[in-house]
Amino acid sequence: MTETSKHEQLRPGIWQTVNERYPGSMIMKDEYVPLAQVKKPLSELKLTFVSSAGVQPIGTMPFDTVHPVGDYTYRTVPSDSKPEDLEIHQLKYLTVGANEDLNVIFPIERLHELAEEGIIGGLTDNFFTFIGYNMDPEQLELKLAEDIADAVVKDHADITLLCPA
Amino acid sequence: MSLPYLKEAIKNGDNEKLIRYVRLHFGDGNEDDGRKEIDKSWIEALKLLLDSPDTDRAFIFDTLENNDAETLAHLYFHLHFYFLKRSGEWIHDGNL
Repeated sequence: MTETSKHEQLRPGIWQTVNERYPGSMIMKDEYVPLAQVKKPLSELKLTFVSSAGVQPIGTMPFDTVHPVGDYTYRTVPSDSKPEDLEIHQLKYLTVGANEDLNVIFPIERLHELAEEGIIGGLTDNFFTFIGYNMDPEQLELKLAEDIADAVVKDHADITLLCPA
Repeated sequence: MSLPYLKEAIKNGDNEKLIRYVRLHFGDGNEDDGRKEIDKSWIEALKLLLDSPDTDRAFIFDTLENNDAETLAHLYFHLHFYFLKRSGEWIHDGNL
Protein backbone atom coordinates (compact mmCIF):
# COMPACT_ATOMS: atom_id res chain seq x y z
CA MET A 1 0.00 0.00 0.00
CA THR A 2 1.18 3.46 -0.79
CA GLU A 3 0.41 6.56 1.18
CA THR A 4 -1.59 8.91 -0.96
CA SER A 5 -0.66 12.55 -1.02
CA LYS A 6 -2.20 14.85 1.55
CA HIS A 7 -5.61 15.88 0.40
CA GLU A 8 -5.59 19.35 -1.03
CA GLN A 9 -8.65 21.50 -0.45
CA LEU A 10 -9.97 22.00 -3.96
CA ARG A 11 -12.05 25.04 -3.06
CA PRO A 12 -9.89 27.26 -0.85
CA GLY A 13 -11.92 29.19 1.68
CA ILE A 14 -14.97 26.95 1.59
CA TRP A 15 -14.33 25.51 5.05
CA GLN A 16 -14.11 29.00 6.49
CA THR A 17 -17.37 29.91 4.80
CA VAL A 18 -19.07 26.77 6.07
CA ASN A 19 -17.78 27.38 9.57
CA GLU A 20 -19.21 30.88 9.54
CA ARG A 21 -22.60 29.57 8.46
CA TYR A 22 -22.53 26.45 10.61
CA PRO A 23 -20.15 27.17 13.48
CA GLY A 24 -18.32 24.12 14.71
CA SER A 25 -19.52 21.92 11.89
CA MET A 26 -16.22 21.19 10.21
CA ILE A 27 -14.13 18.42 11.65
CA MET A 28 -10.50 18.59 10.63
CA LYS A 29 -8.35 15.48 10.48
CA ASP A 30 -4.65 15.28 9.84
CA GLU A 31 -4.50 11.51 9.66
CA TYR A 32 -5.59 9.61 6.61
CA VAL A 33 -5.95 5.92 6.02
CA PRO A 34 -3.78 5.13 3.03
CA LEU A 35 -5.68 3.82 0.04
CA ALA A 36 -4.94 0.26 -1.00
CA GLN A 37 -3.58 -0.20 -4.50
CA VAL A 38 -5.26 -2.73 -6.74
CA LYS A 39 -3.10 -5.51 -8.04
CA LYS A 40 -5.36 -6.83 -10.80
CA PRO A 41 -7.06 -5.21 -13.75
CA LEU A 42 -10.49 -3.70 -13.18
CA SER A 43 -12.05 -6.39 -15.32
CA GLU A 44 -11.07 -8.97 -12.71
CA LEU A 45 -12.21 -7.08 -9.65
CA LYS A 46 -15.47 -7.50 -7.76
CA LEU A 47 -16.97 -4.12 -6.97
CA THR A 48 -19.24 -3.02 -4.17
CA PHE A 49 -21.08 0.26 -3.90
CA VAL A 50 -21.37 2.43 -0.78
CA SER A 51 -23.71 5.40 -0.99
CA SER A 52 -24.97 8.12 1.35
CA ALA A 53 -28.12 8.53 -0.74
CA GLY A 54 -30.50 7.03 1.81
CA VAL A 55 -31.64 4.38 -0.66
CA GLN A 56 -33.10 1.28 0.96
CA PRO A 57 -35.24 -1.74 0.16
CA ILE A 58 -38.94 -1.03 0.51
CA GLY A 59 -40.14 -2.46 3.82
CA THR A 60 -36.92 -1.95 5.76
CA MET A 61 -36.83 0.46 8.70
CA PRO A 62 -36.69 3.96 7.21
CA PHE A 63 -33.56 5.96 7.90
CA ASP A 64 -34.06 8.31 10.81
CA THR A 65 -34.36 11.56 8.90
CA VAL A 66 -35.74 13.58 11.82
CA HIS A 67 -33.12 12.83 14.46
CA PRO A 68 -31.21 16.02 15.30
CA VAL A 69 -27.87 14.27 15.54
CA GLY A 70 -28.24 11.82 12.67
CA ASP A 71 -28.61 8.14 11.95
CA TYR A 72 -25.58 5.87 12.29
CA THR A 73 -27.08 2.75 10.81
CA TYR A 74 -26.72 1.42 7.30
CA ARG A 75 -28.93 -0.63 5.05
CA THR A 76 -27.96 -3.60 2.97
CA VAL A 77 -29.25 -3.37 -0.58
CA PRO A 78 -29.09 -6.64 -2.54
CA SER A 79 -27.19 -5.79 -5.70
CA ASP A 80 -29.75 -7.61 -7.82
CA SER A 81 -32.52 -5.29 -6.60
CA LYS A 82 -34.67 -3.57 -9.17
CA PRO A 83 -35.15 0.20 -8.80
CA GLU A 84 -38.82 -0.43 -8.08
CA ASP A 85 -37.78 -2.52 -5.04
CA LEU A 86 -36.05 0.49 -3.51
CA GLU A 87 -37.03 3.82 -1.98
CA ILE A 88 -35.29 6.89 -0.64
CA HIS A 89 -35.52 8.25 2.89
CA GLN A 90 -33.56 11.46 3.38
CA LEU A 91 -34.31 15.16 3.79
CA LYS A 92 -31.34 16.99 2.39
CA TYR A 93 -31.18 16.60 -1.37
CA LEU A 94 -33.65 16.92 -4.20
CA THR A 95 -35.13 13.57 -5.15
CA VAL A 96 -37.25 14.64 -8.12
CA GLY A 97 -34.79 13.20 -10.62
CA ALA A 98 -34.05 10.13 -8.53
CA ASN A 99 -37.74 9.35 -8.22
CA GLU A 100 -37.95 9.27 -12.02
CA ASP A 101 -34.76 7.27 -12.45
CA LEU A 102 -33.03 5.97 -9.34
CA ASN A 103 -29.82 5.51 -11.31
CA VAL A 104 -29.09 9.24 -11.20
CA ILE A 105 -28.28 8.90 -7.50
CA PHE A 106 -27.91 5.14 -7.07
CA PRO A 107 -26.64 3.72 -10.39
CA ILE A 108 -27.50 0.10 -9.73
CA GLU A 109 -28.47 -0.68 -13.34
CA ARG A 110 -25.41 1.09 -14.73
CA LEU A 111 -23.16 -1.00 -12.48
CA HIS A 112 -24.81 -4.18 -13.74
CA GLU A 113 -24.15 -3.04 -17.29
CA LEU A 114 -20.48 -2.48 -16.48
CA ALA A 115 -20.31 -6.00 -15.06
CA GLU A 116 -22.11 -7.54 -18.05
CA GLU A 117 -19.79 -5.70 -20.43
CA GLY A 118 -16.79 -7.06 -18.55
CA ILE A 119 -15.48 -3.62 -17.64
CA ILE A 120 -15.56 -4.69 -14.01
CA GLY A 121 -15.17 -8.25 -12.86
CA GLY A 122 -18.51 -8.42 -11.09
CA LEU A 123 -20.58 -7.08 -8.25
CA THR A 124 -20.81 -8.13 -4.62
CA ASP A 125 -24.08 -9.66 -3.46
CA ASN A 126 -24.92 -6.48 -1.58
CA PHE A 127 -24.47 -2.74 -1.70
CA PHE A 128 -24.52 -0.50 1.38
CA THR A 129 -26.28 2.78 2.06
CA PHE A 130 -26.68 5.36 4.79
CA ILE A 131 -27.72 8.99 5.13
CA GLY A 132 -25.17 11.76 5.17
CA TYR A 133 -26.73 13.94 7.87
CA ASN A 134 -24.49 13.00 10.76
CA MET A 135 -23.35 15.44 13.44
CA ASP A 136 -21.33 13.05 15.61
CA PRO A 137 -17.93 12.50 13.98
CA GLU A 138 -17.02 9.81 16.51
CA GLN A 139 -20.04 7.63 15.75
CA LEU A 140 -19.62 8.30 12.05
CA GLU A 141 -16.03 7.11 12.05
CA LEU A 142 -16.01 4.43 14.75
CA LYS A 143 -19.48 2.94 14.32
CA LEU A 144 -21.00 3.61 10.92
CA ALA A 145 -17.82 3.56 8.86
CA GLU A 146 -16.47 0.53 10.72
CA ASP A 147 -19.76 -1.34 10.39
CA ILE A 148 -19.89 -0.71 6.65
CA ALA A 149 -16.22 -1.62 6.25
CA ASP A 150 -16.87 -4.95 8.00
CA ALA A 151 -19.85 -5.63 5.76
CA VAL A 152 -17.83 -4.81 2.65
CA VAL A 153 -15.08 -7.20 3.68
CA LYS A 154 -17.59 -9.96 4.44
CA ASP A 155 -19.02 -9.52 0.96
CA HIS A 156 -15.55 -10.16 -0.54
CA ALA A 157 -15.29 -6.86 -2.36
CA ASP A 158 -12.05 -6.12 -4.18
CA ILE A 159 -12.88 -2.47 -4.76
CA THR A 160 -15.49 -0.04 -3.47
CA LEU A 161 -17.23 2.77 -5.27
CA LEU A 162 -17.97 5.49 -2.69
CA CYS A 163 -20.63 7.93 -3.70
CA PRO A 164 -21.87 10.92 -1.67
CA ALA A 165 -25.41 12.08 -2.34
CA MET B 1 -22.65 22.05 13.89
CA SER B 2 -20.96 18.99 15.28
CA LEU B 3 -21.96 17.10 18.39
CA PRO B 4 -18.84 18.25 20.30
CA TYR B 5 -19.80 21.86 19.51
CA LEU B 6 -23.32 21.29 20.86
CA LYS B 7 -22.08 19.53 24.00
CA GLU B 8 -19.73 22.43 24.65
CA ALA B 9 -22.68 24.80 24.30
CA ILE B 10 -24.69 22.76 26.83
CA LYS B 11 -21.74 22.77 29.22
CA ASN B 12 -21.50 26.55 28.93
CA GLY B 13 -25.26 27.08 29.16
CA ASP B 14 -25.19 28.70 25.72
CA ASN B 15 -28.81 28.17 24.73
CA GLU B 16 -28.52 30.54 21.77
CA LYS B 17 -26.17 28.11 20.06
CA LEU B 18 -28.51 25.22 20.79
CA ILE B 19 -31.68 26.85 19.49
CA ARG B 20 -29.77 28.12 16.47
CA TYR B 21 -28.82 24.54 15.73
CA VAL B 22 -32.45 23.41 15.98
CA ARG B 23 -33.50 26.19 13.61
CA LEU B 24 -30.77 25.28 11.14
CA HIS B 25 -31.81 21.62 11.31
CA PHE B 26 -35.46 22.43 10.68
CA GLY B 27 -34.62 25.06 8.08
CA ASP B 28 -32.17 22.98 6.06
CA GLY B 29 -29.35 25.35 6.90
CA ASN B 30 -31.42 28.55 6.90
CA GLU B 31 -32.07 29.88 10.39
CA ASP B 32 -34.98 32.14 9.39
CA ASP B 33 -36.63 29.28 7.55
CA GLY B 34 -36.17 27.09 10.60
CA ARG B 35 -37.85 29.64 12.83
CA LYS B 36 -40.81 29.77 10.46
CA GLU B 37 -40.95 25.99 10.31
CA ILE B 38 -41.20 25.76 14.11
CA ASP B 39 -44.02 28.30 14.07
CA LYS B 40 -45.73 26.46 11.22
CA SER B 41 -45.81 23.13 13.03
CA TRP B 42 -47.36 24.76 16.14
CA ILE B 43 -49.93 26.60 14.03
CA GLU B 44 -50.87 23.36 12.33
CA ALA B 45 -51.31 21.64 15.70
CA LEU B 46 -53.34 24.55 17.04
CA LYS B 47 -55.65 24.56 14.02
CA LEU B 48 -56.53 20.94 14.64
CA LEU B 49 -57.74 21.67 18.17
CA LEU B 50 -59.74 24.85 17.65
CA ASP B 51 -63.06 23.00 17.44
CA SER B 52 -62.18 20.90 20.46
CA PRO B 53 -62.50 17.54 18.69
CA ASP B 54 -62.44 14.34 20.71
CA THR B 55 -58.89 13.20 21.24
CA ASP B 56 -57.43 10.07 22.76
CA ARG B 57 -56.21 11.47 26.05
CA ALA B 58 -55.71 8.00 27.47
CA PHE B 59 -53.21 7.34 24.69
CA ILE B 60 -51.46 10.62 25.43
CA PHE B 61 -51.15 9.94 29.16
CA ASP B 62 -50.12 6.36 28.56
CA THR B 63 -47.45 7.50 26.09
CA LEU B 64 -46.10 10.15 28.44
CA GLU B 65 -46.09 7.91 31.50
CA ASN B 66 -44.76 4.73 29.97
CA ASN B 67 -41.91 5.91 27.79
CA ASP B 68 -38.50 7.30 28.62
CA ALA B 69 -37.73 10.95 28.03
CA GLU B 70 -35.33 10.10 25.19
CA THR B 71 -38.07 8.31 23.25
CA LEU B 72 -40.43 11.21 23.86
CA ALA B 73 -37.79 13.68 22.66
CA HIS B 74 -37.42 11.62 19.50
CA LEU B 75 -41.20 11.58 19.11
CA TYR B 76 -41.19 15.37 19.51
CA PHE B 77 -38.97 15.70 16.44
CA HIS B 78 -41.18 13.27 14.55
CA LEU B 79 -44.26 15.28 15.48
CA HIS B 80 -42.67 18.48 14.21
CA PHE B 81 -42.19 16.97 10.77
CA TYR B 82 -45.58 15.24 10.90
CA PHE B 83 -47.38 18.56 11.29
CA LEU B 84 -45.24 20.24 8.65
CA LYS B 85 -46.11 17.51 6.20
CA ARG B 86 -49.74 17.81 7.14
CA SER B 87 -49.63 21.57 6.52
CA GLY B 88 -49.01 20.86 2.84
CA GLU B 89 -46.13 23.32 2.72
CA TRP B 90 -42.96 21.30 2.50
CA ILE B 91 -39.68 23.19 2.16
CA HIS B 92 -37.24 20.31 2.35
CA ASP B 93 -35.44 18.98 -0.71
CA GLY B 94 -35.94 15.38 0.28
CA ASN B 95 -38.56 13.47 2.18
CA LEU B 96 -39.01 11.65 5.47
